[in-house]
Amino acid sequence: MTKPKIASDWLAACAGCHMSLLDIDERIVEIAKLVDIRATPITDLKEPDEGGVDVGILTGAINTTTNEEVASKMRERCKILVSLGDCAVFGGVIAMRNFFELEDALRRAYVETESTDEEGKVPSSPELGVPTPVRAVHEVVDVDVFVPGCPPDADVIYYVLSELAKGRIPEIKDRNLQWH
Amino acid sequence: MISVTIDGKKTQVPVGTTVLKAAEMAGIEIPTLCDHPQLTPYGGCRLCLVEIEGARTLQTSCTLPVSNGMEVRTNTPRIHEARKFILTLLFSERNHFCMYCQMSGGDCELQNAAYGEDMTHWPLQPNWQPFAVDGSHEHIVLDHNRCILCRRCVRACGELIGNFTLGMSERGSLSMLAADLDVPLGESTCVSCGTCVQVCPTGALIDRASAYLGREADAERIKSTCVGCSVGCAVELVVRDNQLLRVEGDWDGPVNAGILCQVGRFESLKDARQRIVTPLLRKNGTLKAATWEEALSYLSDKLKPLAGKNGDGVAALASTRLPNETLYAFRQLFAGKLGSEMVTSIEEGVTVNAAGRVAQELGGPFEGDLDALKSADCVVAIGADLVDNHQVAGFLLRRALPNGTKLVVIDPFENGLHDLADYSLRPEKGTDYDLLKGLMSAIISLGLTQSEPADLATHTPEEVSQTTGVPAATIRDAAQMIATSQKPTFIFGKGVTRQESPQVLKALIELARLVGALDPERSAIIGTKGQANSTAAYMYGLDKPFEINGHQAVYLALGDDKVSQRLLKRLEKAPFIAAQASHASAVTAMADAVLPVEMWAEQEGHYLNLGGRLQEAHRGLSPPPEAWSNVKVLDAIATRMGYILDTNWQKALHDRVPTTRFSK
Repeated sequence: MTKPKIASDWLAACAGCHMSLLDIDERIVEIAKLVDIRATPITDLKEPDEGGVDVGILTGAINTTTNEEVASKMRERCKILVSLGDCAVFGGVIAMRNFFELEDALRRAYVETESTDEEGKVPSSPELGVPTPVRAVHEVVDVDVFVPGCPPDADVIYYVLSELAKGRIPEIKDRNLQWH
Repeated sequence: MISVTIDGKKTQVPVGTTVLKAAEMAGIEIPTLCDHPQLTPYGGCRLCLVEIEGARTLQTSCTLPVSNGMEVRTNTPRIHEARKFILTLLFSERNHFCMYCQMSGGDCELQNAAYGEDMTHWPLQPNWQPFAVDGSHEHIVLDHNRCILCRRCVRACGELIGNFTLGMSERGSLSMLAADLDVPLGESTCVSCGTCVQVCPTGALIDRASAYLGREADAERIKSTCVGCSVGCAVELVVRDNQLLRVEGDWDGPVNAGILCQVGRFESLKDARQRIVTPLLRKNGTLKAATWEEALSYLSDKLKPLAGKNGDGVAALASTRLPNETLYAFRQLFAGKLGSEMVTSIEEGVTVNAAGRVAQELGGPFEGDLDALKSADCVVAIGADLVDNHQVAGFLLRRALPNGTKLVVIDPFENGLHDLADYSLRPEKGTDYDLLKGLMSAIISLGLTQSEPADLATHTPEEVSQTTGVPAATIRDAAQMIATSQKPTFIFGKGVTRQESPQVLKALIELARLVGALDPERSAIIGTKGQANSTAAYMYGLDKPFEINGHQAVYLALGDDKVSQRLLKRLEKAPFIAAQASHASAVTAMADAVLPVEMWAEQEGHYLNLGGRLQEAHRGLSPPPEAWSNVKVLDAIATRMGYILDTNWQKALHDRVPTTRFSK
């Protein structure tokens, strides 16, 4: 039996969820024995294999049209999509922006921040896409497994990965269910 | 008893028990949000829905009384589906993002309910409408974004406190928690008791001081007794890393049943005075740090030669915030061993003496307990402003008013209770004695006496209205209200006890006797007293007016108490002052020796509340390393002088005729 392929990507997020993944420490070697870790933000391969992967993991909220494209691509190329962390699951801290007008939020972030000099301007590169209202991943694509947490505890991530590696759908409940 | 089957478990419950309570009695947990054990069931959140055999729809178990033979199910797919749906709608209403809420991680009942249903996400996204955060209050932050409209706070404010500041504005999806007619909380009629914060299931009402300083799981709870006043509310000190995060009311408290006032909940944490952390001795005019060894030798040398001197020895003053153990040791050392005549408390007996004298004359206690307010149908408050002080007693009174309890207030002065009274009698200053006589005479002429007519009923309402300025008709109407009630209860305060002569109190007792209120089965007469241990200080005989006169030294057992300007003036005349105190003050600044002691949250000890209830205070915080307990300091001084103090403080409480019966 071939090892299941796993890919991950991050959307609008602080990278904390991937940090928490690294926090599983040496257990990552065990995971690596069980699964084939493919594209991730912290490996060389940046996009999930065209031929598809077994498990796709997304962290972060949907914040722009680019995030929408990344999420859709991951959904198309994976069998099981995992929404990991509070931003992906709920919208998270990123979603605070929804309580303000988009223009106000962008101006505050790129022009008015105390550390910004007079040159500060709202970026408009096409690569960044167009900002959208912030949404949880499941608002844009279907999600199979939700793993909330800000970030999810390394133990929870290890549990999720090892269950998926063994071909099982992890059950997120009791001690493994943490929204904070 | 009727029988009910819950999840296949058959159990017997009293008639009138709700399904929720019955389930709890059977050990079956039903999740709730708007329900609170101390509040009337409301049925607002719908989380406690259960299946009843034969019922078409799910029923709210918190409001549904059990009927005989009822079959209840609490754990079916239909119920779980309904709960998830309810929670989904709740989360979609406002901003319930947990990651930046201080309640997240165990303290939020909404989050816990979601965990209970294994909710990994929100099927519906929030509607992104921002709501106001009301930060106008000194102690409380009201974040409408976190509010689930369960109305626990609204019910607590009305049912438990009787203040009715909180209510709802608008209806349906526009419903908002509102203070008064929708004014900022800080500008409202809020009395800052903080009960709303204590009952809030989410992060909508949070305590400004302890917000984000630690979750329940990080903190420890220590049960103790509030020393803010003589009511003696049971508190829980919430402590983390030797920091007092907040004070909460103990729901099991025999006097307060969970409620507190601003003094106990908030003010007690706001002590900005500087701590005294080492013994201090005056050398060449300035206070210098010293060791305990030096301080004890110094005091022993100073005080020992004053032993047995009468009038020119040591005068001793103790705070009425100190526990029984300390007050008893204090009396033994200064009155017993050193034989001083001038051993008293900083209250100088003012709040208890009059009642004490009456009790002696009557040959036994005559006062009752605040419990009487629960069943009183008419309360007469005289010279007691329970809106300003002894506030929890005031809450117990005010919350009875909407249930039909009548209130007669007698006070020549401004009194927050005047506005709440059915009859507010404001006699001219110094004429409350006349007014009481008029009331008695009116009761007799109405033929409503429950006992032999009183000797003091010498003046008709018409006559006393001349001196008191209170219309005769009002006196008659008030008299009728008092005399026709089934359980009249009388509360007297400083306005009565601070008068030189106990005649007003005697007249009040006479009035109470006239309407049958001296029968403890029927009702009560209650004195509010003063500070936390006024009653014990009186029982230990610490009740004299304080005079320095020719005394060569003053010993002040101050603890964490403050000294009035009046007393401070008198102390200025003292040739030598030694003070045991937890905090620096004008007194310690002029003292010759200062001994560092524990403050209220650090001590162990007993207190006797206004109703004679013996209660325990427990240590929630570790004191600074050099601060000793108040009783240890007195013990050490005694030992150094060659005296041995006993610890029979309990027995000594019976040395005098008490004003109330003691209880535990």
